[in-house]
Amino acid sequence: MGQNEPVPSLLLIEDDDAIRTALELSLTRQGHRVVTAASGEDGLKLLREQRPDLIVLDVMLPGIDGFEVCRRIRRTDQLPIILLTARSDDIDVVVGLESGADDYVVKPVQGRVLDARIRAVLRRGERESSDSATFGSLVIDRSAMTVTKNGEDLQLTPTELRLLLELSRRPGQALSRQQLLRLVWEHDYLGDSRLVDACVQRLRAKVEDVPSSPTLIRTVRGVGYRLDSPQ
Amino acid sequence: MTDTQEGPRGWAAGRKGSASRLRFTSLRLRLVVVFALVALTAAVSASGIAYWLNREAVLTRAQDAVLRDFQQEMQNRAGALPVRPTQDELQRAAGQMAGSSQRFSVLLVAEDARGKTVYGTSGGINGFSLEDVPASLRAAVNKRQKVTDGNKAPYHLYWQRVDDHGTPYLVAGARLAGGGPTGYLAKSLEPEAKDLNSLAWSLGIATGLALIGSALLAQAAATTVLKPVHRLGVAARRLGEGRLDTRLSVSGTDELADLSRTFNNAAEALEKRVADMAARDESSRRFVADMSHELRTPLTAITAVTEVLEEELDAEAGSIDPMIEPAVRLVVSETRRLNDLVENLMEVTRFDAGTARLVLDDVDIADQITACIDARAWLDAVELDAERGRHARLDPRRLDVILANLIGNALKHGGSPVRVSVRIDGDDLVIAVRDHGPGIPEDVLPHVFDRFYKASASRPRSEGSGLGLSIAMENAHIHGGGITAANSPDGGAVFTLRLPRDASRLTAEDDENTEDDKAGNTTGKEGS
Repeated sequence: MGQNEPVPSLLLIEDDDAIRTALELSLTRQGHRVVTAASGEDGLKLLREQRPDLIVLDVMLPGIDGFEVCRRIRRTDQLPIILLTARSDDIDVVVGLESGADDYVVKPVQGRVLDARIRAVLRRGERESSDSATFGSLVIDRSAMTVTKNGEDLQLTPTELRLLLELSRRPGQALSRQQLLRLVWEHDYLGDSRLVDACVQRLRAKVEDVPSSPTLIRTVRGVGYRLDSPQ
Repeated sequence: MTDTQEGPRGWAAGRKGSASRLRFTSLRLRLVVVFALVALTAAVSASGIAYWLNREAVLTRAQDAVLRDFQQEMQNRAGALPVRPTQDELQRAAGQMAGSSQRFSVLLVAEDARGKTVYGTSGGINGFSLEDVPASLRAAVNKRQKVTDGNKAPYHLYWQRVDDHGTPYLVAGARLAGGGPTGYLAKSLEPEAKDLNSLAWSLGIATGLALIGSALLAQAAATTVLKPVHRLGVAARRLGEGRLDTRLSVSGTDELADLSRTFNNAAEALEKRVADMAARDESSRRFVADMSHELRTPLTAITAVTEVLEEELDAEAGSIDPMIEPAVRLVVSETRRLNDLVENLMEVTRFDAGTARLVLDDVDIADQITACIDARAWLDAVELDAERGRHARLDPRRLDVILANLIGNALKHGGSPVRVSVRIDGDDLVIAVRDHGPGIPEDVLPHVFDRFYKASASRPRSEGSGLGLSIAMENAHIHGGGITAANSPDGGAVFTLRLPRDASRLTAEDDENTEDDKAGNTTGKEGS
C-alpha cells in the first residue's frame, strides 16, 4: 500500500472482551483503523454510521449470530467480510461462505495471518488499467470496475468482481481452484477450495440467466472453472 | 426362515449357514438313530417273545392232539394184533390207524412167526419208512426201562421234530408193552409252520412300522428341539455382529424357553452396558471437544497479544527490560506450542466425532510435496523423488497435514537426509518417507500411531504435541488409505503412506455439494 493512501478502517464485531481488545491492539499495530462492536446489533448500527472498508465478524455472537449478520449486510451492501470462527467444523465454514463471507479465519488466529487476509481482500477493490470485455449480455468494464448485464449495473462484492476479472482475463481457459485461490484470495498453496466454489455460486446467481444451468461460468470437472462466451 | 433373511449377506455368511445346517443334521441323525434303536429293541424283543410263546402253544396243541390219537390207535389197533403178525395184518392195521381224524402216516414194525421183521405202512411203498425215523428216536423207543414206582411202563412214547426238505414233521414212536409191533408216526406240521410264518411276517412288518414311526417321531422331536436351537444360533450370531437389540420371542416354560430367556437377559445386559460405555465415551469426547473449544477463546486473545510482544522484541532492541526478555520469549514460544496442541486436539475431536470431511481437489502430487516442504523451509533436508504430472484427487490440506507430520517426524527423530519418494501402484498413490536415523525400536513400532505415545517415559518432551502421527493416520483413513511404519533393512525408519488416487468415491455426496454442478448437462455441453 502506498503511503498516501488513506488508512483502511475496519469494523471488528466480537463479543469476547479479551479477544476484541487483543485483536484491536494487534490490528491497530498493523496499521489499521479499528472500530469495535460487541454484538451483531451494535455492529450493524456502527456499519451504517461509520461506513468501514471491511468487516471482521465473529461467528458466535449473542443475539443474532455472525451468519445472520453476514446475510443482513449482504442484502444491502457489498463490502468485504472476513469471518472469524472458533469452530472450524466444516459445516460452519460452508454456512459462512454461503451467507456471503469473502474469507474466513479460524481461531486462534495469528494477527499476521488476519492482517494478510485483510490486505488481500482490500486489494481486490483496486482499479485496473485495462479495457472492457463483453461476454454475451455481460459487459465487464475493467477501468470503471463495473459489471453490467443487459445494461443494468450488477452489485458485486470486491471478491466476486476480482474472481470475474481473473476468469475474464483468460476467456475459454480453465483455471484450477488452487490457481484462483492464489489469484483472487492470495492464499498460500493450501487454500480452501470451498471459498472458490461458494464465490462462484454467488457470482453465478448474479450473472447467469439461469444460475442452475450456467452458460458463462462453466465447471470443468476435475480442473476448476472457465468463463465462456455463450454460443 | 432366517436363511432367506441372511441370503444377501454374501458368501461367507452362506458358508457359515451351510456349516451350521450340517452340524444340525448330525444331531438330527443321532436323535433318529437313537430313537430307531430304542424302537427296534422294543419291537424285536416284544415280537420275539410273542412269536416264541405262540409257536410253543400252536405246536404243543397240534402235537398233543396227534400223540393222543396215536396212542389211542396204538392201543386199539396195534394192541389188537397178534404178537407175531403177518405183513398183511400189519399193513391193514397201519392203514386203519392212519385213517384217524389227524391224518398222519403210520409205520408198524414187528416180527412175524418166522422171526422175520415185517413192516406195515399207511402210505404205500413210497410212504413212511424206517429210514425216515431218526436213529436216536428208534433207540429211545426200543429201550426197555426198569419199571419202578415212578415209572410204570417199560416203554414210552417218544417224539421228535424233524425237518425233511424244508417241511417240518413230527415223528413219534411207541412200543406196546408185553410184545407186539412198534409203531411210528409222521405228521406234517406244515399248516402250523405256515401259520407261524405268517405270524412272523406280521411281527416283522409291525417292527418295520415301529421303526419308521420312531424315525418320524425322532424327526419331529429333533425339529422341536433344533428349531429353537437354530433360532438361538442365528440370534447369537446377530448379537456377535453388533446388533445388540436382537431378542428372541419366548414361549413356553421348557428348558429351551429358559435358555432363550437367559439369552434375552444377557443381550439386554450387554446392550445396556455397551450403551453406558458409549455414553461415557461420548461424554468424555464431548468434554475434550468442549474444552478445546473453550481454550480457543483465551488463546486467541493471548496469541494476538504475544505477537505484539514478539514484534516489540524483534523491532526495538532495548525497549524491553533485558531481565524480562527471556520471560517474554518463553511466553511467546509456549503460546505457539499451546496453539498447536489445541489445534491438533480440535482435529482429533473432529475425527472422533465423525465430523471431519474431505474437501477434494485435483492436485499434482510433486507440486504438493514441494510446496509442503518449501513452506516449512525443509528443502535442504529433504530429497524428493517424484515426477511432476502425476495427479490425484484428494484433500490437499489433509495431504499436507500427513506429509508435514511424517516428514517433520522423520527430521526430528531420524535426522536428515529424509528421502520422500512417490510411486503409483495401480489405483493407489504410495508415498514413502525414509529417514537415516537409528530406526524405531521393535517394541515401539506398534504404538507409533498412538495418541500421546512417547517412546520412553524418561525421554525429554519433544516439540510435538504427541498427536501428529495419530492425526496423519486419521487423515489417511478418511481418504480410504493408511500409513504403515517399518524399519528399512538399510537402516532408518520408513513410513509408507498409501492413498487411493481418486478419493471422490468416498465422498460422493460432499462432492456434489462442493462441485455445485446441478446437473450433468454442463459437463455434457463442455465436452464438445
